[in-house]
Amino acid sequence: MKTITFKQKKTSSIALEFDELIPDEIYTWGESDFNKYEVPIGNSRFPLTDYFDIKVEGEAESPDEVKMIINGDLNRVKYIGCKMSGGEILCNSSVDLHVGAEMSGGTIIVDGNAAAHAGREMSGGYLEIKGNTKEFTGASYIGEWRGMTGGEIIVHGNAGKQCGECLSGGKITVLGNCDILAGIHMSKGVMEIQGDVNRWPGGQMKNGTIVINGKLGRLLEGFVFDEVVDNPDIEGKVYDGRFIKYTGDIGLNGKGTLLINADVNRDKLGEYGESDDEYTSIREYRNL
Amino acid sequence: MEYILKNGIVYDPANKVNGEKKDVMFKDGKIVEKVSSDAKVLDVTDKIVMPAGVDPHSHVAGPKLVVGRLYRPEDSRKGVTQKTNLLRGESGFSIPSCPTTGYRYSRLGYGTVVEAAMPPLEAKHTHDEIATIPNIDIPALPLFGNNWFVLEFAREGKIDELAAFISAWLKISKGYGVKIVNPCGSEAWGWGMNVHGINDKAPYFDVTSKEVIRALAKANEKLGLPHSIHIHPNDLGHPGNVPTTLETFESVKDIDKNAAVRNQNLHCCHLQFHSYSGNSWKDASSGAEEVAKYVNKADNITCDVGQVTFDETTTMTADAPMEYDLFKLSGLKWVNKDIECETAAGIIPIIYSPKSPVNTLQWAIGLELFLHIDDPWKVCLTTDHPNAGPFIRYPRIISWLMSNERRMEMIDNEVHKWVHSRTTLPTLDREYDFYDIATITRAAPAKIHGFSDRGELTPGYNADIAVYDINPNDIDPSKEHELIEKKFGLTDYTIKDGEILVKDKEIVKVKESSTIWTNVKGYEEEEKAVIEGIMPFFNQYYSIKWENYPVHDHYLSNPIRVDVEASK
Amino acid sequence: MAYEEPITDYDEIVENCTCAFCGCNCDDLDYLVKDGHVVGVRHACRLGASKIMEDMDQRLIVPMVRDDNGELKEVDWDTALDKAAEYIANSIRPVMYGWSETSTECMKEGLALGEYIGAVLDNQATICHGPSLQAVQNAGYPIQTLGEVQNRADVCVYSGSNAMNSHPRHLARYSVFCRGFFRSRGRFDRTVVTMDPKFTDTAKMSDKWIGFEQNGDYGFYNAIRAVLKGKELSQDVISGIPKEDIYELVEEMKNAEFGVLFFGLGLTHTLSKQRNIDIAIKMVQDLNKFSKWGLTPMRGHFNVNGFNIFMAFETGFPFGVDFARGYARYVLGETNTIDLLTRGEPDVFLVIAADPGAHFPNKANQHLAKIPVIQIDIHWGPSTELADVVLPGSFIGVECGGTSYRMDGVLIFMKKAIDKPETCRDDEWIVRELKERVMKLRKEPNVAPEYIPNPAAQ
Ligand code: SF4
Ligand SMILES: [Zn+2]
Repeated sequence: MKTITFKQKKTSSIALEFDELIPDEIYTWGESDFNKYEVPIGNSRFPLTDYFDIKVEGEAESPDEVKMIINGDLNRVKYIGCKMSGGEILCNSSVDLHVGAEMSGGTIIVDGNAAAHAGREMSGGYLEIKGNTKEFTGASYIGEWRGMTGGEIIVHGNAGKQCGECLSGGKITVLGNCDILAGIHMSKGVMEIQGDVNRWPGGQMKNGTIVINGKLGRLLEGFVFDEVVDNPDIEGKVYDGRFIKYTGDIGLNGKGTLLINADVNRDKLGEYGESDDEYTSIREYRNL
Repeated sequence: MEYILKNGIVYDPANKVNGEKKDVMFKDGKIVEKVSSDAKVLDVTDKIVMPAGVDPHSHVAGPKLVVGRLYRPEDSRKGVTQKTNLLRGESGFSIPSCPTTGYRYSRLGYGTVVEAAMPPLEAKHTHDEIATIPNIDIPALPLFGNNWFVLEFAREGKIDELAAFISAWLKISKGYGVKIVNPCGSEAWGWGMNVHGINDKAPYFDVTSKEVIRALAKANEKLGLPHSIHIHPNDLGHPGNVPTTLETFESVKDIDKNAAVRNQNLHCCHLQFHSYSGNSWKDASSGAEEVAKYVNKADNITCDVGQVTFDETTTMTADAPMEYDLFKLSGLKWVNKDIECETAAGIIPIIYSPKSPVNTLQWAIGLELFLHIDDPWKVCLTTDHPNAGPFIRYPRIISWLMSNERRMEMIDNEVHKWVHSRTTLPTLDREYDFYDIATITRAAPAKIHGFSDRGELTPGYNADIAVYDINPNDIDPSKEHELIEKKFGLTDYTIKDGEILVKDKEIVKVKESSTIWTNVKGYEEEEKAVIEGIMPFFNQYYSIKWENYPVHDHYLSNPIRVDVEASK
Repeated sequence: MAYEEPITDYDEIVENCTCAFCGCNCDDLDYLVKDGHVVGVRHACRLGASKIMEDMDQRLIVPMVRDDNGELKEVDWDTALDKAAEYIANSIRPVMYGWSETSTECMKEGLALGEYIGAVLDNQATICHGPSLQAVQNAGYPIQTLGEVQNRADVCVYSGSNAMNSHPRHLARYSVFCRGFFRSRGRFDRTVVTMDPKFTDTAKMSDKWIGFEQNGDYGFYNAIRAVLKGKELSQDVISGIPKEDIYELVEEMKNAEFGVLFFGLGLTHTLSKQRNIDIAIKMVQDLNKFSKWGLTPMRGHFNVNGFNIFMAFETGFPFGVDFARGYARYVLGETNTIDLLTRGEPDVFLVIAADPGAHFPNKANQHLAKIPVIQIDIHWGPSTELADVVLPGSFIGVECGGTSYRMDGVLIFMKKAIDKPETCRDDEWIVRELKERVMKLRKEPNVAPEYIPNPAAQ
């Protein structure tokens, strides 16, 4: 096991790019290698040691045996863990764009917020963000219709617009709220949102599942009411409570599933039966 | 500057040189018989020397291409490289940026690439892009098959006027030859329709595809253009299109060719897409044998193949209704571009997978055509870049053609089982040799396009030469297919107009490209009359002024003018 | 409109000039020239004519450099260019923005400079039709040239675009009023629909106005798609539109022979931004199952499309391209001018033929005030107040020729009609000079193989 600790000396107004400092590249590096290394900033490169003190302890035979601990203010450090395939990165601060983008394995834990593009087109591994994220969390890069294909993203706070865009596998969990168009163009995988969603989840969704435990604002016309289910089981996880199940987006013959908590979203039930009675009767009908 | 390429093993089919150990000399950009003792010696002992490659049909510049590049950043992202002191950063896989296109063709040993579809209205744009592609010469073929004026002339049977129109429009668009795409079909697409077979009529214009093809072929021969009509027949990609293809061939049988530089009066592009039997994809099968049989018999037909390479690529063609059919199948992002009074175009990303029965069928049909057509002078290597695959896959196709073993390996293990039940590919054990490869990649395409300055190592011809790091006496292509693919992918030398562009597998020089266009002489009066006749229409129904229509010199990069004396 | 006397006092007429104002690129203008000035313009609309004729108003004539006291001082060309080149050569995160009101010939020089130094090149798409381009990249692009609309279209829909005001001749020359080959009676052969929350001038002359609520566009188009698939709408009112109206509209669109959707900033700049366009494109694609439909974004500046086309064929990406690492990078939200400026990253800003001072959000302008700004333009504007070096260019389509791409992608050569003021230079020349001077001052950064980036990270 090799532990590499980054201790910040100074910050930069122009972002440092950390795409070369991933376990896959640096598992053989000693301190002297870091001291020689120049980190890209804008159109230039500057010695990494201008910005960080680096301590290396232990040895690693493969990327998987690397643990990077990055301390300091990382609001201008982007591409952390981008394209990594193994190992572990701990960030003790909020981080800049593209954290964990296109990673295929390993673990990244961000003790703070993440800027946009966190975990884009991820194909494996685990990305945990203890704070909030901005737009395009776990989305695809522009033009690509196959987004995140595997792995798991957990956001403890709120997620920005178009979270899980083009999701094609894996799982995204948002414990807070989600902004508009969560899971747009999604074709596979699971999105779990514990908080509220203000508008239009699942636009032009082909397949996959979105579970919303909080309050849903506007629902798109492309979603058709299916039934009310109790304690649905989605890929091995059981969600307690009653959920309204929709299928969509019908505009493109989509077969996606949208589950929203029935108790929190009683007003939505009204569309299919004004009163609580009718709601009950749907349930009873199903129980027959 | 004088050079001598020493001790190479030369394949020059135009001069019937088949693997002879021989020196090739050039001076001031031209091949010469001999050089002085000051000549610089380039030692290529036991390496393959061929004329530089000629791609007879590819899509590298123009309005379609740019939309492809603009709307597929996910493709552009794939081939990104860092700039060097000499080269700009590259980008793209199936639709590389303009500089990238030039670099990659150069590395393959190509010197000339024909841009196969140029709408005259967008000719300035096409030439603007051609000027941005370095290292290769690019003639462009303007689209005539759905042009409103052409449809009118064809309906009225006015061949003289049509000839004058072509002659004028080649000058106006700085085009090289006559391209026809899905005649009448792209016009029907203006109303969301298509035509089926060659006897279907374009709406309103009341003219059949067959009439358009015959009229254009007659006008083409009347002018005696260096290239014959270059046709993408109707019903591309539809199961059961073999009869349409054969009727298209048959329709020009009686039209005499009128150009000594070529043998054919019709070149059919990407024939693979036009050789499907059956009625629907359920019962589709290969029609390659039947089509090849016709080509073998006919002296007036040549073709290129449009070989599927099993990649994720981008289809783009002026056959817009076909692209919409593809969109309905895959649902991927669809581009359409209708050009007023002239043509239409469509684009859609496509993933050719060996696991797919249809894609396997397409792959097999391409190879069957190569193997069934006996005379390599009648068939050229293309992927209809980027439609069936990107051009950087040419070396892989060469390795398939040279190795039955590799083909059988794929048939047995990699592709869908339809290859056994619906094609004859497993029964074909013919293998191409280096001489055949040189024919289908340089000599034949050059002859078909009527080039008289390239495609051969004849003294006086351009010094366009490729040297591959292969010793033909020391390699077994049928076993070492991987090596063949690798070595044909990157030259030891690519020489263009006597300048060394690639040396030891690295680009060492970037030069501006040229465009080649045909200047018909002797039709000036008729051209004027035709233009005067259509001017009222043009002023009323085109959205730009006439002054803005022709390609002026500003947009031409180092034009090479081919003068043709029209015989009336 | 008051009656204006026709202009009779001129020396010569230059025919078939091209208007350098909006994305219509009308190429049928006649300039009336007297004493080397354009005194009258025929065929242009008021917007175009006023821009062309007021060419000397607020005109930047001489190069200027801001001195230590913060005053712009007139200097000679060498001094100004050297100063600008020095700023660029010493920069770490240069951004070169604008380009939409200059020629592609000038862009070519700019791209060479940007690639050399490792700059971000971006144009006005970033603040106007960027979302449309993103949507195109996600959903596709069924378009047609404007002549195709003129000759065939029987239904024209304007969504979020008040063309009557922003592109005054669009309806007259290309889409609605003009006579087309298959629409010989012009306006009478066409149905015009305007979709806009506001009852605009374009809505006034339309046959139908769909006034969906602000920000309701995505929900509205989603409902249309559902109806096209044969679904009954479950809500009575969607985005402020009664469902009966939606059914009726869908029927009308399905029955068109050739329909076109023109959309403008009203659609790109509401809540769900590029997704509005995304779903509008999908709707047009669906409609093609029933009849023929296309669309065209109503591009604003005359060559804003040109920059996107030019960048796409040169680099593979349409705008917001970052060359900092020696290879092209295009990530929306990262390599766009506004994002970079609000993040406070750029350390030099070159603005050519654009006015960030007037169009950028406050936070972006605040950062601009802190860094060296180099302006290449013909008119004094809010950006001049921010500029540290001012390089006076010349007026494309009037004082110098150049290439432009119309909103539908048709290339137009804009010819020169008069001479430029003696002390001004062509944009192309200025940028080439800058490039050559920068090349002398700094060795090209980030060239392979000196720094081979992580191949996995490209
Ligand atoms: S419509 Fe636009 S291009 Fe045409 S004259 Fe008016 S401003 Fe100029
Ligand atoms: Zn083709």
